[in-house]
Amino acid sequence: MRARAREPLDPVGWLALPAVAYLLFIYALPLLLLLAHAVMGPQGFTLAPLAAFFADPFNWQVIANTLRIAALVTLVCLVIGYPTAFALAWSAGWTQVILLAAIILPLSVGVVVKAFAWQIVLRRDGVLSSAMMKLGLWDEPLRLLFTETGLVLGAANVFLPFMILPIYSVVKLIDPRLNEAGATLGATPVYRFRRVVLPLTLPGVVTGVVFVFSLSIAMYVIPSLLIGDRFQTLATLIGRSFLFMRNEQLGSTTATVLLVLAVAVVVGSGVLARRLGRSA
Amino acid sequence: MSDFLVITRAAKSFAGARVLDGVDLGVKRGEFVSLLGPSGCGKTTLLRIVAGLLAPDAGTVRLDGEDITARPPHRRDVGVVFQNYALFPHLTVAENVAFGLAARRAPRERIRATVARFLDLVHMQDFADRSVRALSGGQQQRVAVARALAVGPKLLLLDEPFSALDRKLRETMQIELKRLLRELSTTAVFVTHDQDEALMMSDRIAVISRGAIEQLADPATIYHRPATPFVLGFVGLSTRISGSVIEAHEGQVVLSTPHGRLRASGSLPPGAKAFVAVRPERIEVAPTAGKGNQIELPLRDVVFQGSKVQLHFDVAEGDRVIVEAAQLPNLRIEPGARLRLSFAAADAIAFQSESS
Repeated sequence: MRARAREPLDPVGWLALPAVAYLLFIYALPLLLLLAHAVMGPQGFTLAPLAAFFADPFNWQVIANTLRIAALVTLVCLVIGYPTAFALAWSAGWTQVILLAAIILPLSVGVVVKAFAWQIVLRRDGVLSSAMMKLGLWDEPLRLLFTETGLVLGAANVFLPFMILPIYSVVKLIDPRLNEAGATLGATPVYRFRRVVLPLTLPGVVTGVVFVFSLSIAMYVIPSLLIGDRFQTLATLIGRSFLFMRNEQLGSTTATVLLVLAVAVVVGSGVLARRLGRSA
Repeated sequence: MSDFLVITRAAKSFAGARVLDGVDLGVKRGEFVSLLGPSGCGKTTLLRIVAGLLAPDAGTVRLDGEDITARPPHRRDVGVVFQNYALFPHLTVAENVAFGLAARRAPRERIRATVARFLDLVHMQDFADRSVRALSGGQQQRVAVARALAVGPKLLLLDEPFSALDRKLRETMQIELKRLLRELSTTAVFVTHDQDEALMMSDRIAVISRGAIEQLADPATIYHRPATPFVLGFVGLSTRISGSVIEAHEGQVVLSTPHGRLRASGSLPPGAKAFVAVRPERIEVAPTAGKGNQIELPLRDVVFQGSKVQLHFDVAEGDRVIVEAAQLPNLRIEPGARLRLSFAAADAIAFQSESS
């Protein structure tokens, strides 16, 4: 991305015109109009709604909830997805076909269906609870449904492919000879991973993190179904403001906060990754 | 055995296909040995077994008196220059060369000095801070060699390191590498399918075919006294005249051929179907005085090759007669002319015909 930015305008860029036009009218314009509500009062431009939003400690709680859940979901996806991406990239034949199908097919099942399926698993008398009891890991049945743990596990399940696929695509490009070269130079497997494999997969990790974080910071259906109204995130608060409280200004203000947070985290992680990549 | 590297009965199969068939090989300290053979003959498999990147099904590898067969590659002290160089794309030239030393936790100051020394040896000191992605093929190869040598390996393995370079650059790099390895008195095993490369660089050559060593000898012996028809055919050109053995004594045979009786070295029983092989530059055209074997043949083609001329003659199906001379003999010769050729019995070798 860095290299491309310095080049003069490429006429090939015009091929993106349909997408740009589409996004401009269907996405950017309506979004701008909506966000304008946050700073437009009856007497014109005002920062009062934003000030009011930040003055309410409840909203700070909501922001913290949102960031914490998104960070945890991203972390779970990364921990599970990173090794999976290698399995996918380095397997061959039917193993690879089956793995790829197992990762892509769940995308075709709607989030609502998955969320209800998770309710069955996470109930007090659900599959997970009984299994943990049988294994002797839990002394008494526990309900994960309507808890943050349940929400994180469920959301990670939905967003996992968005972590695996970008990492898979960079792992596939790594020459296996690099690992062998490292070995013949006397590097232990751990050293090779730290100094060769990890830096080379970092771009895929950043893409995966940005995908999953953006998706989970804005998710609405999954928290609504897996944790309910007692636990508010910015996205559910936006929904409530528009649908139940009919408070367009609060909704727009919250949306602005969410957008700024998401963009900040995405840009910030990109910068951080670039710095890590350079020092590694 | 006093050999530095000793491979004993190394065998390897892939999916039931035998790739290495119990290979024995000894390499002396400081020696440069080439594994020469066509692709798929098992030479790269043997190299990977020595490096520890592949486990043999059977056999042992000993280096400097120690059995390293079961040792992982990072504890073997065996450096490898890979065919595609396998440079770390996210590191600079200097960082690539420093990689092995840093992995061995060498002190910072020593790493800096060693990297500088080896970049200097391969004439890449001006490129230290460049990304390896920006280098040409020849420069990448130099970095790969410096990286492998910087850790001071006991043994250096080279897997067709010149195959990606163009012809002119290849010759320069071959001479350079040979000199560098001699200066550092590095023991090296070199895999190649290019006979010229092997003849030019090696102290000894192991010619490999179908997972077994056909002949292990110095380049001159490989070229002038090939042990098997495969070595004869794989290394260099040769003339080939078929016939049958009519006399045999003391390592000398006489063959009866369509072009008369030919004397050659070899030990075959009378009556055996055989052919006489002679290297093309060992045959003389229109000699004033005959030396040993004499034949007369019609000329088919004259091929000009710059520093030499190649003459092709019409012979029976399956045979061929090729003569190489520094220049055309001092007479007008055109295709169709009958020429008298001669070669010494000592330059001719008789092999049993493969079909019999």
